[in-house]
Amino acid sequence: MAKYLGKRIFYIILTLFIVTTITFFLMKLMPGTPLTNQAKLTPTQIHQIYKQYGLDKPVWQQYLVYLGGVIHGNFGTSFQFSNQPVSYLISSRLGPSLIIGGQGMVLGVLAGLIVGAVGAIKANTWVDTSATIISILFISIPSFVLAVLLQYYLGLKLRLFPIADWGGFMYTVLPTLALAASPLAETARFMRTEMVDVLSSDYIELAKAKGLNKVGIIYHHALRNSLIPVVTIIGPLAVNIMTGSMVVENIFSIPGIGEQFVKSILTNDYPTIMGLTIVYSAMLCVVLLITDIVYGLIDPRIRINK
Amino acid sequence: MKINSLAKLGGVVLVTGLILAGCGSKSSQSKKQEINWSTPAAISTMDTSKMIDLYSAQVANGTNEGLLRMAKNNKANPGVAKSYSVSKDGLTWTFNLRHSKWNNGDPVTAKDFVFSWQRTVKPKTASQYAYIFANIKNAAKINAGKMSPSKLGVKAEGNYKFVVTLNKAQSYFKYMVTQPEFFPQNSKTVSKYGNDYATNSTKNSYNGPFILKGWNGTNDTWKLVKNTKYWNAKDVKVKTINFQAVKTPSTGLNSFNSNKLDYTTLSGTLAANNKKNKAYTVFPQASTSYLEFNQKKIKALRNVNIRKAMALAIDKKQMVNKVMQGGDITPKGFVPASMAKHNGKDFASQAYVKAGTDYDLKEAKALFAKGLKQEGKKSLSLSLLGSDDDDSKRSSEFIQSQLEKLPGLKITVQSIPFKSKLSRSESQQFDLVTSAWIADYPDPSNFLDLMTSNNSYNDGKWSNKQYDALIKKSESTDANNETARWNDMVAAEKILMQDQGIVPLYQQGQAALVRSSVKGVQAFTTSPQYDFSKAYVK
Repeated sequence: MAKYLGKRIFYIILTLFIVTTITFFLMKLMPGTPLTNQAKLTPTQIHQIYKQYGLDKPVWQQYLVYLGGVIHGNFGTSFQFSNQPVSYLISSRLGPSLIIGGQGMVLGVLAGLIVGAVGAIKANTWVDTSATIISILFISIPSFVLAVLLQYYLGLKLRLFPIADWGGFMYTVLPTLALAASPLAETARFMRTEMVDVLSSDYIELAKAKGLNKVGIIYHHALRNSLIPVVTIIGPLAVNIMTGSMVVENIFSIPGIGEQFVKSILTNDYPTIMGLTIVYSAMLCVVLLITDIVYGLIDPRIRINK
Repeated sequence: MKINSLAKLGGVVLVTGLILAGCGSKSSQSKKQEINWSTPAAISTMDTSKMIDLYSAQVANGTNEGLLRMAKNNKANPGVAKSYSVSKDGLTWTFNLRHSKWNNGDPVTAKDFVFSWQRTVKPKTASQYAYIFANIKNAAKINAGKMSPSKLGVKAEGNYKFVVTLNKAQSYFKYMVTQPEFFPQNSKTVSKYGNDYATNSTKNSYNGPFILKGWNGTNDTWKLVKNTKYWNAKDVKVKTINFQAVKTPSTGLNSFNSNKLDYTTLSGTLAANNKKNKAYTVFPQASTSYLEFNQKKIKALRNVNIRKAMALAIDKKQMVNKVMQGGDITPKGFVPASMAKHNGKDFASQAYVKAGTDYDLKEAKALFAKGLKQEGKKSLSLSLLGSDDDDSKRSSEFIQSQLEKLPGLKITVQSIPFKSKLSRSESQQFDLVTSAWIADYPDPSNFLDLMTSNNSYNDGKWSNKQYDALIKKSESTDANNETARWNDMVAAEKILMQDQGIVPLYQQGQAALVRSSVKGVQAFTTSPQYDFSKAYVK
């Protein structure tokens, strides 16, 4: 296990290194500078500004300096927020994003498993049909539309939850619901398909023949076996949540990094774009690693230390 | 300043006031002196030497104060300076400062102004707005690194007399000193925090009506709390203004409707749907969108009949009401309405030329046919350059549909990213282009200077000797005579419109909902846009 983890962590670092390198050079190819009024700046001033951001050095040197900084958690200074280190920009806004992203993921996957399992057990009844309809709806409605609807009906009309802003659990409810919809639908569809297969397999028939009760069969045999393929989609779902949160954070005025990402792109704030790309990649790598470990825990046939 | 309709990052300055009209309806809210205000973007910095965006300037105008303070009806009221005098030649401005304090108890002195202005101008600070100091003696040389900052044409005579020497007379200098770039800075605070100065609400000193609280440098909510050490604190009625950065207009609308916000901006269809709302208000901005003709590249566009025909063929009313839908206003000319006033008269009304902004398709067709004949052409094919955001695309398509009503005129639309559009406009790689400009200070010269023959922002290269002469006169012989200078500028704008150097399309306006119980907020057409020092809740 330790060896496996070590190997995986090495690959994660390698991945992040490649991501950093590619992002760095892509950004260098893009037009745009920290200058806002270039036409009216004196050459001395332009030089000073470049110097301040380390842009006066040759690109290869900038790259080495940047890599060195990244290792120490220093992503440079934002173009957009004067004198504000990108690492602070990210760390001060990461919390809210992790909270709504995490809650959305957990809620979506758990609810999806239940909806999917119920659909499979009651296959081809009205229960199954309703579950399918819910899945299709949640998959087709983009999270930003759902967010606006939730905000209008649950926030403004019924006044159950705050409309926007940040400050305690109640403020996380609507964004969490908006984010949970798509993982819920995906998980439910996967779960139902898998479980229908599993329920018609020989070993379930055997268990039934042995006279085990229905709850026991579903819980011990069907559920666990159906989970294996479902775990594989958690990685892509995490990506979904990350991209969804950019819009959802905007709509609910949440001071998170998704919102910051969009804004840094609109304002050519390259240090922030690079910093956030690296942080997003790191989060994704960690989710994938956790998925693989969970995989081994659920399926004894997969021996992760091999 | 060139503006991007997407970001509107920008303005340094501004002006004209009008008081928010409250309709006097009874509010269900208590009369707690607390206002909940929204803003489209978070604060980017509170360092007035580095401030480049309107929304940060708005906050700074609440927390700090310069020599003078912008007030309604284009007035520059006493601020830290209780009075000022200008020498006969207009070059020396002497400000007599009152005895006022920073919120940490230090006195605000002339040295704080000297310190701040020198800091902004010296290249090491890398201020992107240092050019606004260009008319102060030696500023340009210091900024270019060729002279020591201590040579800047400002000096403190004792603690309470501040003297500024200009390169040439500039009657609107009084407006410039109301802007954040010209605010004083507490040298102790600046040196104490170094690079961290003004990166959050505690690492700063305030001398304005309010103190900034709860801003950690990156968050989306903060407060302005009454500053009891402000010299005029007795006139500041509101105790707290809660700011919230709202990035989605529909969220702002929902928050307004649930009484969480007292002010929210609207755009597009949201604005159109709320026009009948009692709280609906339009705040004119000192910003004009206009069409430029490339006279350098296309010979036919040098023909005044063709330019006039194209101007008359565009129905600006329909453009504002049906296409843009937000708070935009039909234009009166190149210089926006309600921006600059002289002897109580608005510049845009005085310089109004009906034909320059009118719509008359019949006349347009006649003029176009005449123009084509003069040019010996049967038809004309032009491309229209615009940026690729939704508003610009809609406006380009509308202009195309209007212009193609002229027989023989074919228009193709090109929509490209804003920055690319800007660089192509500046290098004359277009036939027609839609541009926008926002004033840096509330003086017509801010717009009129653009159209002089050699100005780098005169993208279409329209050139008129009489116009250039008038602008030059307003800057030299008449610079120190407000009325003569004003008349020069009015005459210049009339020439621009009669010769149709450009076609004004619309004046930008900010549509918003404002709670009727909130009174006394002063609105200006340029930065800082709003002033809360006289605001109260009724």
